Amino acid sequence: MLRFFLLFVVLLAVLFGLELTPWVQDWFVIPWTNALARISTWIVTLFDGNVVATGKVMRSNTNGFAVSIEAGCNGVEATLVLLAAMLAFPAPWKHKAVGLVIGILAVQLLNILRVISLFYLGQWNYDVFEWAHLYVWQALIMLDVLVVWLIWVRRVPRTDDSRGPPSAPTALAAG
Amino acid sequence: MTDGTPPDQAEREGRGAKHFIKSPLTRFILAAIAWLPVTFGSWYLLGPVLLWPVRLLVQLICRIGLSDVVRGVEVGGSSIAFLTTLKPGEGMGAGFISVDVNMLVYAFGMPLFAALTIAAREEKWWRTLAIGYAVMVPFVAWGVLADFLKGIALVAPAAVASQTGFSGLQREMIAFAYQFGSLILPAVVPAVLWVLLHRAFLERLRRRAG
Repeated sequence: MLRFFLLFVVLLAVLFGLELTPWVQDWFVIPWTNALARISTWIVTLFDGNVVATGKVMRSNTNGFAVSIEAGCNGVEATLVLLAAMLAFPAPWKHKAVGLVIGILAVQLLNILRVISLFYLGQWNYDVFEWAHLYVWQALIMLDVLVVWLIWVRRVPRTDDSRGPPSAPTALAAG
Repeated sequence: MTDGTPPDQAEREGRGAKHFIKSPLTRFILAAIAWLPVTFGSWYLLGPVLLWPVRLLVQLICRIGLSDVVRGVEVGGSSIAFLTTLKPGEGMGAGFISVDVNMLVYAFGMPLFAALTIAAREEKWWRTLAIGYAVMVPFVAWGVLADFLKGIALVAPAAVASQTGFSGLQREMIAFAYQFGSLILPAVVPAVLWVLLHRAFLERLRRRAG
């Protein structure tokens, strides 16, 4: 457990540090955030044609309301947490790869739902938008990461190493 | 009882066809989602009480390490106002700068942790809640302080920021502390804590799957 925890913390700190570097921002974070705005807008235009994306901003042509997808709302940090948690957990690399692909997809899909829901909540009621934006969606995205990780951990073949991480003391586990 | 799980534990997890949903993981996820509105509502209403230790810790840190910049700290509900020794600058009027920080922004992990803990239905969950809360308080204080420091060192006009006397390296460190304290810690700490405090629960989930 200690090994998993320390590895997770180190990996997360390194990944987060990398995320903040100008190179990663320019080549990954900003393009991804812009793509997220475009994907969300494309989905919205299936039922609401008066929405456009400009860079990382989604704007309604009907009333001028716009949301800008900032750091923390682009799902990158949640992805890094999942990445660190899966890499730190003792599991075959094949399982890690499959888990990461499916897990990142699950996190990003929910994040698209977050962006779209906030876009409409903001047009409806700004107080509700703030509540959902600052508190509720942050918690839901982290819950999503945790659930994805739990499902993945359950499917990881048990080895001597992988008994460790979420393991309990023998007396507790064996009852 | 083929896997050695104690009878009371098995009963808590609802084995024995009493539960419509058989997977303990699915049951746990649904329970956590169901508890979230309750814990969020309670957290919001009790915010000033729950964040009182955060305020004390922030006050203590300001007194010890930031007394040249912070004259005092005032609390209104779940917000905290840092009364600084910094002046607005020439032509901007008299008085001192104050910086408001919404503490709830850094404390949303509390209701998340509570929902997860209650949903897991482990023994002594009240104790687990108390431990989790106590561990989260310093991390919330981190976020609040980093937000304040960002406000005076990075966001404030140059005439104000220059009065802080922070070096370039210190400003970089404040920027990193703020980013880490706002983007990572508030969400990750409750999840990691929950995993660390529910190892037996997680082990049972794994055993059922395997």
